[in-house]
Amino acid sequence: MKKFAVLTILIFVVSLLGATMVMAQAKPAPAKPAPKAAPAAKEPIKVGSICDFAGPCYMYCETGLKGLEIAVNEINAKGGILGRKVEIIVRDTEMKVDVAVRELKDLILREKVNFLIGPCSSGTGLAMQVVHTEYKTLRLSAIANTEGMTVDKFSPYFVQVVPNTYMEATANTRYLNKKVPSAKKFCTLGPDYEFGRREEQAFTDEIKRLVPGAEILYEAWPKPGEKDFTAFITAIMAKKPDAVHSSLFGGDLVAFTKQAAPYGFFNTPFIALYDLPVLAALGPDAPEGTMGFGRGCFFMDPNPKMMAFVETFKKARGTYPDAWAVQNYDAMYLLKGAIEKAKTVETDAVVKAIEGLSIDSLRGKFTVRPLDHMGTVPCYQGTIAKDPNYPFKIWTDISRIPGEQVVRPEASVREIWKKTGVVR
Amino acid sequence: MSFDVLFNQFMSGIARAALLFLVASGLSLTFGVLRVLNFAHGSLYMLGAFLSYSIWKFILMPVFGFYVAAIITAIILGLIGIVIEFFLLRRLYARGWPEQLLATYAVILIITDIVKYGWGGEFLSIPRPKPFTGAVFLFGFPFPSYNFFIILLGLALVVFLWWLIFRTRFGDIIRAAAHDREMVSALGIPIPWLFTWIFVLGSMIAGLSGAVTAPFGSVALGMDIEIIVECFAVVVIGGMGSLPGTLLGSLIVGEVYAFGIMFKPELALAFIFMVMAVVLIIRPWGIFGRPER
Repeated sequence: MKKFAVLTILIFVVSLLGATMVMAQAKPAPAKPAPKAAPAAKEPIKVGSICDFAGPCYMYCETGLKGLEIAVNEINAKGGILGRKVEIIVRDTEMKVDVAVRELKDLILREKVNFLIGPCSSGTGLAMQVVHTEYKTLRLSAIANTEGMTVDKFSPYFVQVVPNTYMEATANTRYLNKKVPSAKKFCTLGPDYEFGRREEQAFTDEIKRLVPGAEILYEAWPKPGEKDFTAFITAIMAKKPDAVHSSLFGGDLVAFTKQAAPYGFFNTPFIALYDLPVLAALGPDAPEGTMGFGRGCFFMDPNPKMMAFVETFKKARGTYPDAWAVQNYDAMYLLKGAIEKAKTVETDAVVKAIEGLSIDSLRGKFTVRPLDHMGTVPCYQGTIAKDPNYPFKIWTDISRIPGEQVVRPEASVREIWKKTGVVR
Repeated sequence: MSFDVLFNQFMSGIARAALLFLVASGLSLTFGVLRVLNFAHGSLYMLGAFLSYSIWKFILMPVFGFYVAAIITAIILGLIGIVIEFFLLRRLYARGWPEQLLATYAVILIITDIVKYGWGGEFLSIPRPKPFTGAVFLFGFPFPSYNFFIILLGLALVVFLWWLIFRTRFGDIIRAAAHDREMVSALGIPIPWLFTWIFVLGSMIAGLSGAVTAPFGSVALGMDIEIIVECFAVVVIGGMGSLPGTLLGSLIVGEVYAFGIMFKPELALAFIFMVMAVVLIIRPWGIFGRPER
């Protein structure tokens, strides 16, 4: 028995060590208790950054947090917002719904954060929405983009700065249609969860509007994290589609691309989320001539503001920033604009101020639509090509579709609200 | 449905089966002899994938880089296996499954955090090594040559394990020990060290299979849990601790999944677990397994 006790202690100590190491890394901005004696106006504005430090979301949150930190450092260096410094408090959900809700409550009740930014997973995002709405705390999403958060389960305490699944898929369907106008028979390939289901549904709806008689021959739904796509690849090729639409992303898209290439799969027009991290991981294996879509990074939108951000980010981090960092940066500046317009950090006033607010973001100007708090952020598409200036392939023939052109029409939003019981 | 389409799908299933066999054989070997259900086997596989990436990056050898990295990875994983066996598993053989499960689960958490700490969350990828970059043509249909490499490696592992277990003195001892520990130990064979070596072998197989997946797909957090679930399906169907059983289990899971995807994609995963449920009802110890004494 003594042996077992020793062993238990050993395991405990080792796991504790492991946990501290991770926390030390996961929380680069440790919470400093606000000085109690200071006058209220000088207390920092607290922003809770909710991150899913697990699985595929780990990387998105890590780089997103970096973008957020750069925005906060810039803002603080210029005197903060309304003369108050901004402070980030980072929390990890482990991509679990119960942990997310627990951490969220702690942020709101104990840390008394003024605003929230996050998370990455549409799953934790939807779960948290109920809670922070109850506590009347405003949250901005800078990575997670299910339309469920802005439309089906609309909350006045939620603002979206990422093109939602409907906008993104509608926009990239138009690009696909423009590139291969003759395509009539399609296959879809989406990760089997909230995000993938919604993207492929939006694709199916849009392509049927654009191409009369369009046909979906086959829908493939690999589980997120699938390692072997071979059977999906041969099944799709057996149907001989004119083009394939996919919402695979991240590591799954890397694995899929490498496995599909030897089959000659990319001779068929194909579009998927080939953004910076995927192209960087694929290196020479990235299929030239294949179409990609993304949410806005430097090679998709090389405007002067974006390129200045690239320089700052590279100095801080040594790598190129991807869309996740850009979106977090934009979210922070949108929040700043809203607080300054409201002249207070009081939630309801800020919510009122943010409706209809336009900002000059890294991705150009966008406006928060008052109806559903959807930012009219642009969607980007392009075709993969070599560029001697970069150690990875980037895009050519880039299309930037402003959010206004692809956002769900207000009448359609109200239609859905009738079904889901949102009153507004 | 023409022959070529079905044949292509069949080959996809074989490729998947080979990959599953690589990982599941180590799991099954450890269980067969040590009677420990090593939940952390998938984590060793993930660690192998990440290590092979770093080693491949570090040695920067143009042609053989990947192969050298895979071998070094297997050796390092073997050393890690020694540590885990000596400090943890050795103390658990006599205890019940719940404790073994908890302890190996702890190893999963530790390795996940080590990977997070060491590599962060980025997904990494190794380009396919020469000469397995393109495709070969079977009856005029393309088949990725790297998939062939994995199948060959799976076959080589089958032959090697068969030879080791059924044709060597070491194998005789292993089989005897799996059958009756006390008797073997009474004959003067140091059982603890024998078990260490078995676990090391299992860990090396995990490391090697992790390294082999790196050019196949992508290396990312979460690949440990993803594979271990399917591997459990394989060993439950084939029979815990049986080499032919693991091979058959891999083939069944690979083919059921491949044809499930073709004909009823929404239920492809469910089919695997339906097969598993049927096997559990008819032969709870698996097709080639033997009932617990």
